[in-house]
Amino acid sequence: MAYVISLDTGGTFTDVVVVGPDGVPVIGKALTTHDRIFSGMREAIAAAAAEKSLSLEQLLAETDLLVYGTTRATNAIVTKRVAKTAFVTTAGFPDILVLKEAGKFDPHDFRTPYPDPYIARRHTFEVSERMSSEATVAIPFDERQARAVIGEIVAQKFEAVAVCFLWSVANGEHERRFGQLLDELAPGLPYTLSHELIPIVREYRRASATAIDASLKPLMQSHLRGLESDLRNAGYKGEILVSTTSGGCTNIDAMVAKPIYTIGSGPAMAPISAKAYAAQERFGDNVIVCDTGGTTFDVGLVRDGRLTFTRETWLGPQYTGDLMGISAVDMRSVGAGGGSIAWIDEGGLMHVGPQSAGSEPGPACYGRGGLQPTVSDAAAVLGYFDPNYFLGGRMKLDVAAARRAIETISSRIGLTVEECSFRILTLASELMIRAIGDITINEGLDPRESAIVAGGGAAGMNIMLIAKELGCKRVILPKTASALSAAGMQYANIVAEETASHVTSTEDFDLAGVGRVLDSLTAKLHAFAEGLAHDRNDHAIEYIAEARYAGQVWELDTPIPSGHLKDLASVAELQEEFHRTHERVFAVRDEGSAVEFINWKARLSIPLADPPAPIADADIVDAASASKDPVPRRDCYFGDVRAVATPIYKARSIAPGMRITGPAIVEEPTTTLVVYPGMSVTLSAAGNYLLEI
Amino acid sequence: MATTDKTPFDPFLTAIIANRMDAIIREMTNTMLRAARSAVINSARDFSCSIVTADNQLLASAEGLPIHIFGSDLLTSAMQKFHPGDIQEGDCYLHNDPYTGNSHAADHAFLVPVFVEGEHMFTAVAKAHQADIGNALPTTYMAGAQDQYAEGALIFPAVRIQRDYKTNDDIVRMCRARIRVPNQWHGDFIAGIGSARIAERRLKELCAKYGKETIRAFIANWLDYSEELMVKALQSMPATRLSNSGRLDPLPGLLPDGVPLKVSLEIDPTKAMVDIDLRDNIDSVPVGLNLSLASASAAAVAGVFNSLSFSVPRNAGSFRRISLQFRDGSVIGKPKFPHSCSVSTTNLADRLINTVQAAFAEVSPKWGLAEGGLGVGLGYAVVSGNDYRFGGEPYVNQLVLGSAGGPGSPVADGWPTYGIPVVAGLMYRDSIEIDELKHPLQVVCIRLLTGTAGAGQFRGGAALEMAVTPKELPIQFIWACDGGETPPKGVRGGRDGTHAAHWIVRPDGTEELLPSLVIISLQKGETLKGCHTSGGGYGRPHDRDPALVLKDVVERYETLERAKAIYGVVLSGSMSDETLSVDVEATAALRRAS
Repeated sequence: MAYVISLDTGGTFTDVVVVGPDGVPVIGKALTTHDRIFSGMREAIAAAAAEKSLSLEQLLAETDLLVYGTTRATNAIVTKRVAKTAFVTTAGFPDILVLKEAGKFDPHDFRTPYPDPYIARRHTFEVSERMSSEATVAIPFDERQARAVIGEIVAQKFEAVAVCFLWSVANGEHERRFGQLLDELAPGLPYTLSHELIPIVREYRRASATAIDASLKPLMQSHLRGLESDLRNAGYKGEILVSTTSGGCTNIDAMVAKPIYTIGSGPAMAPISAKAYAAQERFGDNVIVCDTGGTTFDVGLVRDGRLTFTRETWLGPQYTGDLMGISAVDMRSVGAGGGSIAWIDEGGLMHVGPQSAGSEPGPACYGRGGLQPTVSDAAAVLGYFDPNYFLGGRMKLDVAAARRAIETISSRIGLTVEECSFRILTLASELMIRAIGDITINEGLDPRESAIVAGGGAAGMNIMLIAKELGCKRVILPKTASALSAAGMQYANIVAEETASHVTSTEDFDLAGVGRVLDSLTAKLHAFAEGLAHDRNDHAIEYIAEARYAGQVWELDTPIPSGHLKDLASVAELQEEFHRTHERVFAVRDEGSAVEFINWKARLSIPLADPPAPIADADIVDAASASKDPVPRRDCYFGDVRAVATPIYKARSIAPGMRITGPAIVEEPTTTLVVYPGMSVTLSAAGNYLLEI
Repeated sequence: MATTDKTPFDPFLTAIIANRMDAIIREMTNTMLRAARSAVINSARDFSCSIVTADNQLLASAEGLPIHIFGSDLLTSAMQKFHPGDIQEGDCYLHNDPYTGNSHAADHAFLVPVFVEGEHMFTAVAKAHQADIGNALPTTYMAGAQDQYAEGALIFPAVRIQRDYKTNDDIVRMCRARIRVPNQWHGDFIAGIGSARIAERRLKELCAKYGKETIRAFIANWLDYSEELMVKALQSMPATRLSNSGRLDPLPGLLPDGVPLKVSLEIDPTKAMVDIDLRDNIDSVPVGLNLSLASASAAAVAGVFNSLSFSVPRNAGSFRRISLQFRDGSVIGKPKFPHSCSVSTTNLADRLINTVQAAFAEVSPKWGLAEGGLGVGLGYAVVSGNDYRFGGEPYVNQLVLGSAGGPGSPVADGWPTYGIPVVAGLMYRDSIEIDELKHPLQVVCIRLLTGTAGAGQFRGGAALEMAVTPKELPIQFIWACDGGETPPKGVRGGRDGTHAAHWIVRPDGTEELLPSLVIISLQKGETLKGCHTSGGGYGRPHDRDPALVLKDVVERYETLERAKAIYGVVLSGSMSDETLSVDVEATAALRRAS
């Protein structure tokens, strides 16, 4: 087997993971170069190649698969550099993107301005036409007026067009006709038709997804094609795939056609690595994955070995942001990370975040002029970081500055700097616990019966506190913790998903109609598989119904147990599966009620690489007695006023099977693991840290 | 053991447990939203969850609707009063009686007393607006009801519906026999109980983790902390004594003079108290618009919270600093039984919130709000009939498609998704497609209208126009829309919002203006169309940043003419090539001249 390279280009760092014939992952990191992604990418690949004692050219020559993940689309949206996009909708409904679905958090907040729509009202065009909910033509498509609208779109030099008509999901004829007119009158102008991108009922969600997708098309097409040609020029001849927010990867053609799927594609890979590592350590197939960065804490789930999905991912805040609408891996993000600022409000209550010191000036301990106390400052004061070995020695920490920052609040509440610091860290953990609680409750998962896989540079600081609070007994901090997303791409499948809307009910199930829908989804997926660069026969297709009890309006993803719905017995199985799902999520089942089915999904998966195989347990030895040299100690605080002289273990001195009993600190080049008193950690044979709470 | 007056405040543990309480309410909310059957709950989120202490103090309410949650303590007090010594673990109570603490009969509140080691510690409250409650007409808002008997709904004054976690099926049968579309009601009933039971489970876990003593200390700390923030807010205000008036528009034939509304506001910064005196209001009226004690209190308190410049937790602690005065027999807060409170949570309550927040605006340019948009018209109509697509199956439900414009504030424009004052932008809008799927109607248009927002330094939200038509069979539409005569007022020089108005469009295209109270069976070929009001403006239009006026014109919220005539902003260039810009000198000259 040759090499597989996976790359995750984030806002700050480009992470590379390379796995070769020996199956052992190595990491390379470099700063992301936004003007030309390939420069940073080459540096990071070269760094990883060096770990394998290869040159960049040698590595590229021996690699036959490269998986690329990018935040380019997200950055373009945040910095408002997407295409000038026209929004075309049914006459009478110009404000779908303005009104969204309404709702807000604080009923008494009248001080927040109302957000601008994703596409401005002045860029919105109405076309006279209307489909009914019964898929019939209520108002015929006005071809003359549509041509005039396109004339206007061309005259105003729009760069992309988003088309969303009401009930196109029941009958796409009018949208398709508008698309044909665009091809005719504005050839080459990129556009997205809502019923093709996201055939779901609910006009705002469909319109929002369509608007986002269309606005990314020119940019992502040139970005992905440019990257492809850079890689080819560098001599790379293997296959190139791109990670998607639906939890897998796909080829460049598919991504250029639906660029919205690159948004959040990095975090969507984290559960894949979590699943792989939990399996490797035989920790079961219910996994919580946490990724702690400088400003955010991302959390996701693997349930019964499956990724979990949501259609409710918002770009920006819930209610006032823009809804993605597509079925994406459910990763929740809260504003809690190393840079989160601690403060005391007017009533004397302590808060952490959501404000963050960011990377500039960063926490006070970075010594770049930050004055406000952050979570990282708290950890620095508690002695958890070696001031001279932070980020593998790349940065010196100014602990005195951290103390001064913490003092600004500890003095107000009458605590020592160390006591206050420990409380800041605990409160930050609390926010993370709540984020985990929200997502596990939503899925009816008991954290106590799940494993945790922790990643991100700041994870080791408090993951053991979090696990203890949640009652989780099995926790993994993998060797690749600082590059969890890139690592996930190593074990991702090629995935493709097709959806269609077809409403029916168990009362009068439309076997023939559903059969046709599933057949057409299957045919589309087969066509996709045949278009891939390599012949891959071992693909599997999974079918999912979005179902609800009659009268409900929110659907639950329900896997179709028999993989088809050709007879009433298979419908009965699906109905029972829905009851089970509903009971798990909402604690009730309603046997007397009919079950309605709204959307049908088919998901193709083609495995690329085998997940890492479990390795036999190493013999456990106590690290303190096994260490040849005396273990250095540093004063650390764990909630008491008094310091504890705490052993400090460097990564290179720890062999598989060594168990380190807390209190202790483990220093890895890219992360620091705090082992709290009463807890312990063992390095597994596979090279992962297994935490015992 | 020594005791002190105040439990020592722990800024850290208080934050942690408050966070946990919030999470419990969110879980209750999620359960109700996702499991309920009627669109008014599962799409529009017309429900609220809260946690009340065993001694009937509102402790936590997260994102609950103000009109729902501020009376939660009245509900739990009634439960204790009616079942002295007989409340036990496994009980659940249903309460919807407006004369013993509920908002109005259409809000069914599920009360679950939470016991920890045999001690009653909390009561979990899940309150949801029902799609139907068995009124004489297929609507949950009986605006024309002469008294409570004429409404016709089943009334449950804290009636026990579960003991030992088992439902009393007698009550379920009573409801099934009286409430339209009983399966829909029953689904919501199960969701309501489920929501309160989730809170029970989580509160027990919380007490087990921290111990009852810590939780008791938290309750005291949290309420004191909330009070302290309210004290700070009131201390920053000038000593004030003023009165403000408002008016509920007439109901033709039933309430010819409408209801004049008077609010006296006194702020005493030294005592850190705000007093709202509502005694100088008329007697109960013989229609369904009387305000129950819960609704009147909630509306007045919401007006205060809307007016503050920073966020204060809403609970019994901060409420200690607000005193409310009502008069026995008055339409506001103490109507005389059996006057009807059927429409108690919207029309007059909306006016009360507006009048209070507008009074605060007169105190200082930093506080208060303009009046928010009004009108429970077509956009919130209750529709019913038989669905030809499903073998004539009956349906009844409230639409939540429309919205009135939000009020301008000291620093921001009103929101287009505001709804009405009592929901304050919290409720979700229905999806047009989902509403068409669930009811045999077709929406003709929904759009914001240019040039309608109440002008101001910060303008109101624009008016939203909508139109609806039946597909085959007739559809019954019922609503009582305020704001046809008296629009929401602007404050501090801001302009008023627009009027509400609705028309029926006959098949031949002729239009007839509809009265405020509409009970109509709309036939195929006929269309209902109309608008709720826009929101009032805050501050003088001439003080509005010209860049914001330009943006409003470019985005078609305002016209060039109004920009000049009302805002005193002269624009030059052209809309079509995106060169429109502010003529700074001409604008300055025009603004100086006026």
